[in-house]
Amino acid sequence: MSNVNTGELLNFQDYSPEHNRSARIDVEAVHTNQYNNANTSYDYVEPKPVVDDEEPIPKTGNHNFWTIEYYQKYFDVHTNEVVERIVSSVLPQKVSRNYFDERIKGKPDLYGPIWISVTLIFTIAVSGNIASYLQNANKTIHWKYDFHLVSYASTAIFCYVWLVPLALWAALKWTTNPDNQDQMETQTSTSPTMMSLFCLYGYSLSIYIPVAILWTIQVSWLQWLLVLLGAFVSGAVLIFWLLPALRKSKYFLILVGCILAFHFLLAAGFMLYFFHVPETEPSAEIVVTTLKP
Amino acid sequence: MTTFDSKYDMYPAGDVGVIEGEMNIPGRGVPSGDNMEFNTLDEPIKETFSRDLKAVGNKFYHVLIPREKTSLLKEWDLWGPLLLCTFMATILQGSSEPTSNTGDGGPEFAEVFVLVWIGAAVVTLNSKLLGGNMSFFQSVCVLGYCLLPVALALVICRIILFSTQNTFLFFLRFVISMVGFMWATFAATKFLGDSQPEGKKGLAVYPICLFYFILSWLVLSHTA
Repeated sequence: MSNVNTGELLNFQDYSPEHNRSARIDVEAVHTNQYNNANTSYDYVEPKPVVDDEEPIPKTGNHNFWTIEYYQKYFDVHTNEVVERIVSSVLPQKVSRNYFDERIKGKPDLYGPIWISVTLIFTIAVSGNIASYLQNANKTIHWKYDFHLVSYASTAIFCYVWLVPLALWAALKWTTNPDNQDQMETQTSTSPTMMSLFCLYGYSLSIYIPVAILWTIQVSWLQWLLVLLGAFVSGAVLIFWLLPALRKSKYFLILVGCILAFHFLLAAGFMLYFFHVPETEPSAEIVVTTLKP
Repeated sequence: MTTFDSKYDMYPAGDVGVIEGEMNIPGRGVPSGDNMEFNTLDEPIKETFSRDLKAVGNKFYHVLIPREKTSLLKEWDLWGPLLLCTFMATILQGSSEPTSNTGDGGPEFAEVFVLVWIGAAVVTLNSKLLGGNMSFFQSVCVLGYCLLPVALALVICRIILFSTQNTFLFFLRFVISMVGFMWATFAATKFLGDSQPEGKKGLAVYPICLFYFILSWLVLSHTA
């Protein structure tokens, strides 16, 4: 048996370069066969192939942590998938009910979150400048644009996209109450991973992009209406997808409240900082006070 | 034990099929056949400069009239991107102290510079992550050379800014910078679009659009 195999191996040296790829795969297959056969005689190498087959350490996986190939699995999406995910973050009734469990949790991507965040940063910077231009349009002062809105917006958005899912992930991990054994089993299977939370949060920001463009309209009640609308719609969709996991937590209501509050705070902060008139007619103040309670 | 030895012996032979690519010296141009490459050692420095400049100019020409798909991809160099980026950053930099009311709130020189290079690197990284089969610096080279329409729009806008501003001139600057944006995106898409697998082209093109859009926004906003 081994004689035959080594003979085959020696022959492979003569293959032309275009055959080498397939030849190597064959060689590897032969090797693993021999390796597994050899395991019966050598006891001390037994655990090694087990470690190779299943991947208990996510850090190594198939590729090294520091290579591009390691991250390619988070960018393995097609255009229509990304569009579908953006739609699902705004209109969840358009996709199937367990879309999050089936698709996003199984294959979280980072393409959407990263580029939606970048788009939102520059949309806010551009339309914030347009808003300040419109605010000063009828005044005589020399309007100047402010490039540095980009850095403020990017700090805020990247903090939000990375820190809030991290906190939520930790909260879900450590506040779930295990009732009994089989509950525990289902819970570990439905609790979302960190990557899928990043993915979900990144996509949930997509509604703010059209909202940021509409914020340039300098009408106070319309701006606040857009804040409420945007925060409510994307917060509600977040909670809708996370509901099965959230229900298991001890602090169900607190978590839901926190998610909605952070979403509202983000939207209100954007609107007040980048788009709102700093000192204005009293009508804006009235709207603020009526909305607060 | 023989299996282990032969396994490690096999790998160099097996890897030969995987290695691809060409080893080009950037800026050398196509060897003209009768000249040996040793001639570059004792040629006048003027010839060296003119040959490199010719290569850069040839690439600029191909960006402006993007007909051939592979003309920019054969040999990459970063001279053109460096020239364009430095030029744009010099013009675009704001003359502002952050607290005072005078000057415009434009970006610093370094901010434009970093925006261009980091932006090109991030866009390239994105297309690599999506599975594009293009080397890193080739893509950065193409993205940098395709800044040319945006830089031309900047020059025209700068000339328009010398006269007294009104709404029509603003509209004119808007149209010019949008034309520059579309031209740059079209050229970059033409050169880079084929490197992506089917069904992911939109995902690779979108960041390119965003990159040129941001730079065109800077061009339009520049008023000082």
